[in-house]
Formats: sequence, C-alpha cells, structure tokens
Amino acid sequence: MNVVITPEMVGQVVISGILSGALYAMVALGLALIFGVMRVINVAHGPLLMLGAYVTYFLFSGLGLNPYLTVPVSMAVMFVVGVILQRTLVFRVVNAPELSSLLLTFGISIALVNLAQLAFTSDLRAIEYLTRSFVVGPFAISGSRFIAFLFAIAVTALAFLFLQRTKLGKAIRATSQSAEVAMVCGIDVSRVHMITFGLGAALAAGGGALIAVVIAIQPEMGQVWTFKSFLVIVLGGAGNYPGALLGGLLLGLVEQLASLFLTTQLSEVVAYLLLVVVLLLRPSGLLSGRQT
Amino acid sequence: MIRAFLATLAGVLVLLAVYPTFGTGYGVRATQQVFMWIVLAGSWNLISGLTGYVSFGHVAFYGIGAYAGAILVTRAGWAWEPAALAGGLAACLLAVLIGYPCLRLKGPYFAIAMLGLNEVLRALVSYFEGLTGGGSGLSLPTLDASVPIYYAMGLTAMLVTLLTYRIVTSRFGLRLMTIREDEVAAEAMGIDTARHKLGAFILSAAGPGIAGALTARDQGYIEPVSVFPLAMTITMIVMALFGGKGTVWGPVLGAAVLFVAQEMLWARFPYLHQLLFGTIIVAVVLLMPRGVLGILQMKYRLPRTI
Amino acid sequence: MAAVLEVDGLRKRFGGVTAVNGVSLALEARRIYGLIGPNGSGKTTFFNCITGLERRDAGRVIFKGERIDQLKPYQIALRGIGRTFQVIRVFPELTALENLIVVTRGDAGAAGRRARELLGLVRLDGLRNEYAGNLSYGQQKLVEFARVLMRDPALILLDEPAAGVNRTLLNDLLEAVRRLRDQGATVLLVEHDMKVVMGLCETVFVLDHGDKIAEGPPGAIQADERVIEAYFGR
Repeated sequence: MNVVITPEMVGQVVISGILSGALYAMVALGLALIFGVMRVINVAHGPLLMLGAYVTYFLFSGLGLNPYLTVPVSMAVMFVVGVILQRTLVFRVVNAPELSSLLLTFGISIALVNLAQLAFTSDLRAIEYLTRSFVVGPFAISGSRFIAFLFAIAVTALAFLFLQRTKLGKAIRATSQSAEVAMVCGIDVSRVHMITFGLGAALAAGGGALIAVVIAIQPEMGQVWTFKSFLVIVLGGAGNYPGALLGGLLLGLVEQLASLFLTTQLSEVVAYLLLVVVLLLRPSGLLSGRQT
Repeated sequence: MIRAFLATLAGVLVLLAVYPTFGTGYGVRATQQVFMWIVLAGSWNLISGLTGYVSFGHVAFYGIGAYAGAILVTRAGWAWEPAALAGGLAACLLAVLIGYPCLRLKGPYFAIAMLGLNEVLRALVSYFEGLTGGGSGLSLPTLDASVPIYYAMGLTAMLVTLLTYRIVTSRFGLRLMTIREDEVAAEAMGIDTARHKLGAFILSAAGPGIAGALTARDQGYIEPVSVFPLAMTITMIVMALFGGKGTVWGPVLGAAVLFVAQEMLWARFPYLHQLLFGTIIVAVVLLMPRGVLGILQMKYRLPRTI
Repeated sequence: MAAVLEVDGLRKRFGGVTAVNGVSLALEARRIYGLIGPNGSGKTTFFNCITGLERRDAGRVIFKGERIDQLKPYQIALRGIGRTFQVIRVFPELTALENLIVVTRGDAGAAGRRARELLGLVRLDGLRNEYAGNLSYGQQKLVEFARVLMRDPALILLDEPAAGVNRTLLNDLLEAVRRLRDQGATVLLVEHDMKVVMGLCETVFVLDHGDKIAEGPPGAIQADERVIEAYFGR
C-alpha cells in the first residue's frame, strides 16, 4: 500500500467514521439495553435490524412512501415484534447463564432469517432514493448516509431523554442496576423487560430502516451488525449506555481509519483486536463506572 | 452392570471397526461425520461443560486445523496424517494465543470475544490469499482416503472421549469444575484458575483442529465459509447440551442423536430444516438445559463417569 | 515471638467510601483473635484484602515474614492462609468429600483419608458422597470449615462461623477451633455473636467505619467506651 495519505483523505475517513459510528451507536444502544436490563446476549439483534429494513422496503416499494418517513413505522412495528418475542420466549432466559440466552436468541435468529428467506427470498432488494453526495470543502458526503447520521443522532438523543427524564426510563435504568431493588420499589420488572426488549428491537429496526437506503437488503444482512454491536457494547461497557455511544463512534472511526491505512478486509480484524486489547486493559469496558 | 456396559461398548467398537467392509459409501461417510461431531461436541464439553466458560466460537479451531492441514498438504507436500496432527497443533497454538487474554474475561464477555474470533479468522483467511486461496478456496490433490480417514476420525473421537473420562475422574477435572461452581472460592482455596482454564482450553482445541484437517483432506476442497460457520459452533454446543454437558458420554449421545435428526430433517423438509433445527435448539435450551445424561445423573445419582 | 501476620496501614476505598482506613495489627501463633464491629465497619473487606480477593489501595500485609499484598489469591492460599466466607461458598455440584480433596495436590490416597478424617471431625462422614448443594445450611458451613483445614493453614480466617449454626454444631466448631490453636495455628474470626467472641478469643480487635478503634482482651473491650459508643449509638 504505497499510496500517499493526505490530510484530506484522513479527514474524509474521519467524517465517514463519525457518520457510520452514530448508526452503530444507535443500534448498539438497543443491544446494550437488552443486556443491561436482562443480562441477555441478543444474537438475534441483526435479524431484527434486517426485518426493520424489509418493513421500510415494502412500505417504500408498495406504497411509494418516502423511506425516511417509514423509519418510525418500522421502529414501531419491530417494537411490537420485540415485545412479543420477549413475552413468549426471551423471558425464560432473563438473568439465566449466558449459554441459555446465547442459544435461545441464536435459535430465534435462525428462525427469523429462515422465515425471511421463505417470505422474501434471498433476492437482493434496493431502495433507490437520494443517491447523491454533496460536497463540503474537500470532502464528499453521501446524502443518504448523512441523513442516516442525523436520524441516528436524533433517535439516540430521544432515547437518552427517555431514559433520563421519564418515569419508565428511570424504571428501566433502575432495573438495569438491580432488578431486586427495583421490584422492592414497586417497579413492574416483567413489564420493564418487555418494553426494554421492544425498545432494543426498535432501535435495531431504526438502524435497518436507515441503512436500507444505502445498502442492499437481503435476509442475511443483519449478521455483521450483530457482531459489530457486540464490539460496541464491549468497548463501551455493557450496561453503560453512554458508553455505547462512545463505543459506536470509536468503532466507526477505527474501521474507516483501518480501511485507509490497511485494507477494508482487515478492518474487521483491527476492530476485533481493538476489542481484545480494550478487554485486556479494562475488562469492564472503556467507560467503566457502572459494574453491572 | 459395569461389565455389561463394557461388553456392549466393546461390541459397538468392533462393529464400527469392521463397518467399512460392508457399509455403503453414504453409511461410512455418515458415520465418519458422527465421529467428527463427537470430537467437536466432546472437545467443547472439555472447556465449557467442565469450567463453565462458554466458548461460542469453537469452530475457529476446526477451521484453523482445516487450513493448516490443507496448506501443508497442498503447498508443502505433506501426507495427510502428519498434516492432521499439525492441524491439531495449530489449533492449540491459537488456543494459547487467544485464551491467554480472553479467559480473563467474565462469562458473557468471553462468549462475545469468542463469537468474534470466527469472523476475524475468516477475514484473515480471505486476506492472506496467496497462502490460503482466499475466498475462492483451496483444492487438495485428489486422493480417495475415505476409509483411512474414517478410522482416523474414529480414533480421534475415541481419544477425546477417553480424555474426558480421565479428566473427569481426576482431581484436575474436579478443579476445573470448581471454576464452574465458584471461581472466586476456587482461587481462595489455592487453585490457579487462570492456568487451569488455559489448560482446558488448549486440550479442547486439539480435537477440532485434527478433525478440521481430516475433513479438509476428505472433502478435497475448503473455503472460508465452509470451515468457519457459526452454525457449526451452535450445533456442537447443542449436541453437547442435549446429551448432557459436563458428562463423559453426553456429547457422544448428543452427536449421534442430533446428527440423525438433522439428516432426517434435511431429507424431509429441505426448505424448512434450518428453521426446525432452530426450534430444536430453542427447545433443548428451554426444556432440558442439563441434557439427557445430566438429568439422569441428578435423578439417579449416577457416577460422574457417565 | 515473631508475628505470623503483620498488617500495616491497610487502606481500601470503594468509590467514595473508605471501607478500611489505615488499619494495622499483628497476629501471633497459637492464638485465637476476634474481629468485631458494627455492620459495615469493614471486616469482610479487611479479610478480602488480606486474602487477595480485593486489591488494597495502600498498606502492607506480611505473612510469616513475606510480603503477600501483591500476590494472587491462589498464591496467598498456597502459602498457608485459609478462609471461610460470610455467605457460604461450597462447590454445590461436588460431593462433600470432593469439596475437600479438590484443594489438595499430591498423594490422592492420603488426601482422601485426611478428608474423611476432617469430615468425621464435623460429624459429616456419613454424608461425604452427598452433593454439597443438597446439604443443609449448617452442614454446608461445616463442609466449608473442614475444607479450610485440608491444607493445614498456619493462619485461618473465619468469617462469621457461628451464623445460622445451632448450639450443638457450634460447640463442635468452637472445640475444633481451640484444637487448631493448640496445634500451633493462628485463628482470626469475624463474629457478631458476642458470647462466642468473649468465650473463645484471647484478643479482640474492634473496627468501626474502617478504623481500628480498640484492641485488647475481651473483658477490656466489653468495657471500652468507644466500643460501646460504636455499637449503641452516638
């Protein structure tokens, strides 16, 4: 790789990293909530994102709706799906040893992917919308990625407001710290669990809806997002919600920088090495303050 | 009771040994695959069943073994037998490399770290195309060694089971179990848990490494997707769980039963078999997490050597 | 007589809370010591720091002339410090016998015999093949106690040995502790049951909010004003 690397290239890559980082953060926040509140490692997170993408696709191609308008719809639909999944299956492995939740959510994930393959076939779908980039100084910014970024920031901000200001949000945070104490304080913990899983699914779906405009949609598209969301919450410290933000941005930046200085193929490896290094140095994540 | 069991075991082993002489090609292949799953599930059991550290990326050792073995055969002209052993060695080296940092992590984090290992190895294999053939895979020189490999795989399966038996009946095995029961108390009682975990992890990598190399030789062709699939990790875990994790014969039982189940599902429901298998996973996890032998052991006070 | 254990200025903080605030003490061989104090005074944290389960923030711990505060828990245990826990930590899916032999190395036969001997001492030999998790609370406590003795530690730390144990069992336990002392060991126990402390310990240390506020024979401690104030209010 003997390419001269200019500051502009680095700058471009940093911008790309921030744009994708916000999206990672939003999706990972969903996973972080699920893990923080229920100690469930949700391997089905990627497939939930995938379903969100499909909802957006069908609303767009079927009803001709502006894909960005479908984001809230997608999120709402998947919120309900999440609640149903929790109510019927996931509740059994709440606070169980991690093997149980890993396997259960993996089972759910195969089921979802398989169902999607049956229902939608594995044909690639795409949403053609806003494919232009616009130029700011020496940097080119993809329009759709920028809007995704804005949405992600907005949704994440709303999520945080919700967690900090509303009664339900506080209940979720309380349960995340100690379910027993929460119960004693009169919080309906099983309701909190349902809502949290729904929320997690909604955040994943939001990510899916936003990314549907950018990349091809197919049943297996979610897998890599599961992996990346895990990286993010480990980087930021599972159960540490602001940490998920930092972790997401960090992952986005590291990925893009790695693809600049090495190759894109190795960016995953670099991200993983980052994970291992962080875990070695700070086993509880980068922003450990909360030991869940 | 024990004598009857040993007699039956001896009979089964003899039967398996002579099977290739009268069995169909498909039958030999299928039995060999059961051997392979016994190696995988049994090895996973050594680390996760005994110490409780859930290795969620164990297929990484299988894949590394496959590539190490295949590369030695194609690029260095090795015979497949030493290449298989080298595959096991490569897997053990990987175990040391990845185990040393990662086994320090608490349960869920270790599981996640192992989950990522798979993806990373696949990426690395694709990257070092010159050596590994990258995404287009690696072809081995043609060789019909399916019968010798049947025996090699069967031998490996026996060794893994024997190793499990020896460990479970030793104080080393008990010490591994204390890690599962209460790692803090184990440390306080003078047990070097870090060394024990790493030891179990290395032992659990050897079998899959050898199995990977053998399968690579047998199939004559490997590619990243075929040797690092997450589904394989899941399958070996569910087999061990179903049979009874932490037991000696549980993985054997699980491998045999679930392999047959999988084949039957594939034959009958070609489009739905994955979904159905996913359902089986869910059912096992929710309804019988201790596994068949685990439940029997608790209920009838069977000895640990079950 | 050289001290078996010397603790010098031990300090441990958890976030904003100082659990152990510069505590110093020395323990000699062949004696039974008590460590008392109101709830939250730092007693268990003190134990955890000595045994390496928590990393201390400041101070030194010297055992038989060797500094041990930088060592890992298992290394400290192997040097001859044994402990029990406030909340019982037996290995539930190991049998009572296995709970004991798992901490030994070397001759398995000798380990087995010693294990049975110790189980006999606490009258649990009949239940030796029972899964520890199936035993009653008091029985598990005794298994944990016997387990500590398997390696013949020179220093034995007992965290609330009397809690939840009935009278008869308790007497057996106390007798066993006295015998350990006679054989040369040092015992330090954390206890809330004052009768046990007063009847068993030769010297008592009192902790309050992380500080050592008193040290002396039981009689003197009972009459010490600071101790009374710590327990009964300010």
